[in-house]
Amino acid sequence: MISDDEDKLAAFLDGQMDDAEMAAFEARLASEPALAARAETWQANDRRIVDAFAPVADMPLPADLLAKLKTTPSPVPAANDNAPWWRRHAVPLGGALAASLVALAMLAPNPDAGGQKDLAFALETGRSLTPVQLADGSTITPTMTVRAADGRFCREFQSGETLGLACRKDGRWSVEAQAKGSGPAGQGDLAVAGGADASALADAYAKLGASDPLGAAEEGQLISKKWSAE
Amino acid sequence: MGSGHAGAAIMKDAILAVLPRLRRFCHAMAGNAADGDDLMQSTVERALAHGDQFQRGTRIDSWLYRIAQNLQIDLARAKGRRGTAVDVEDAFGLIGDDGEGVFRRAELAAVSRALADVPEDQRAAFLLVVVEGLSYREAADALDVPVGTIMSRIARARGRIDKALGRAGGIMQ
Repeated sequence: MISDDEDKLAAFLDGQMDDAEMAAFEARLASEPALAARAETWQANDRRIVDAFAPVADMPLPADLLAKLKTTPSPVPAANDNAPWWRRHAVPLGGALAASLVALAMLAPNPDAGGQKDLAFALETGRSLTPVQLADGSTITPTMTVRAADGRFCREFQSGETLGLACRKDGRWSVEAQAKGSGPAGQGDLAVAGGADASALADAYAKLGASDPLGAAEEGQLISKKWSAE
Repeated sequence: MGSGHAGAAIMKDAILAVLPRLRRFCHAMAGNAADGDDLMQSTVERALAHGDQFQRGTRIDSWLYRIAQNLQIDLARAKGRRGTAVDVEDAFGLIGDDGEGVFRRAELAAVSRALADVPEDQRAAFLLVVVEGLSYREAADALDVPVGTIMSRIARARGRIDKALGRAGGIMQ
C-alpha cells in the first residue's frame, strides 16, 4: 500500500522538502499518531542500517584491487606496523597514498556553496576526498581532518602535486606546512609525488600533536556547524 | 596504453578515492561481503574497460554506482531470484571474535536479510540516499531515473524493510 503519504514521509525523512512542505508535514505528524509512529519506525530502521554498514567503508581494501588501481609504481606501506597513522603515510608512494587516505575518511557529497572560492573556502566547506573547484579553475581536495593538541582543527589538502596542512583559528585557515611534489610530469592531476613530501607533513603533524583523523560523520558535523566543536 | 594513458591514470585515482564508499554500496547491494567485493571488483573492471563512456564533468561515484546497480540487477536476474542464499552470518566476517564483532555481524546479517527482501532498484535508491548521503537529485542522476521515482522507490523500500525487520523481531531473536 504505497500511498502519497509514504512518498511524503520519505521526502520528509530525507530532508528533501522545502520549508513550507516541511512545516505542513510536521503539523500532520503532530496530529496523526499513526503517521508519527511510522516516521519514528522508519527513521529507527534507517539508523540501524546506516550503523551496520558504516564500518564497511573503513575496512582495508583488497590488495589486488589496490594494485590494479595504482598509477605510480611504488612500494606499498606495511599494513600493520604500529607507527602513528601519519608516519604510516610517510613512505614514498603514489596511488598508495590515496589508498591509505581513503581508508581513513569517507566521501560525502560536495556541498554546493557560493562565496569566494579560494583555499579557505575549500577547507571550510569541503568534505574530505571531494575535490573542490576554485574560482581560478584549480582544484583543491581536502584529504583529511585532524585535531591539534591545542584544540585547533587542521586539514590536509592536495592541489595538483602540492600537499598542505592548514589549521583553523578564529575563523581563518593558515597553512602550517606545505610540500611540493616532484613526480613525473604528465602524471594524473590527482597523483601525489614522492616520499620527502609526506614526511615533511609528518613532521608538521608531530609538532601539532595531531589526533587520529576524524570520521566523516564528525567532520560533516563540524563543517555544518562552521567548525564550532560545541 | 597509448594516448589514453594520462586519462586512465586520472580515472584510476578518482576511482580509488571513492572506493571505500563504492565497496559499502556493493556489500549492501550484494547482501554479503564476499559477493559485495566481487561486485565492487566487476564494477571497477567495467569502469576501466569503458572509461570512454564516462561523461566528463559528472561525478565518478555516480557513474560507478550505476554500473554496480546494473551489474547486480543482471546477476540477480541470472540467478532467477532476488537477494542471496549465502548464509550472511558466515559471510560477514567484519571484525574479530570479540563481543562487539559478534554483535556487529549479527546486526549486519539482520539488516542484510531485510535488504534482500527489497528489489534491486529500490534497494539501490534507498542505499544511495540513506547510507551514502546522496540527495534525491544526485541519486536520480546516478541511477538515471526521475527524482519522483527515487522518492517512491525509497518509500517502497522503507515499507519492505520495516516489514522484514519487524518480522525478525529485533536482532536478539
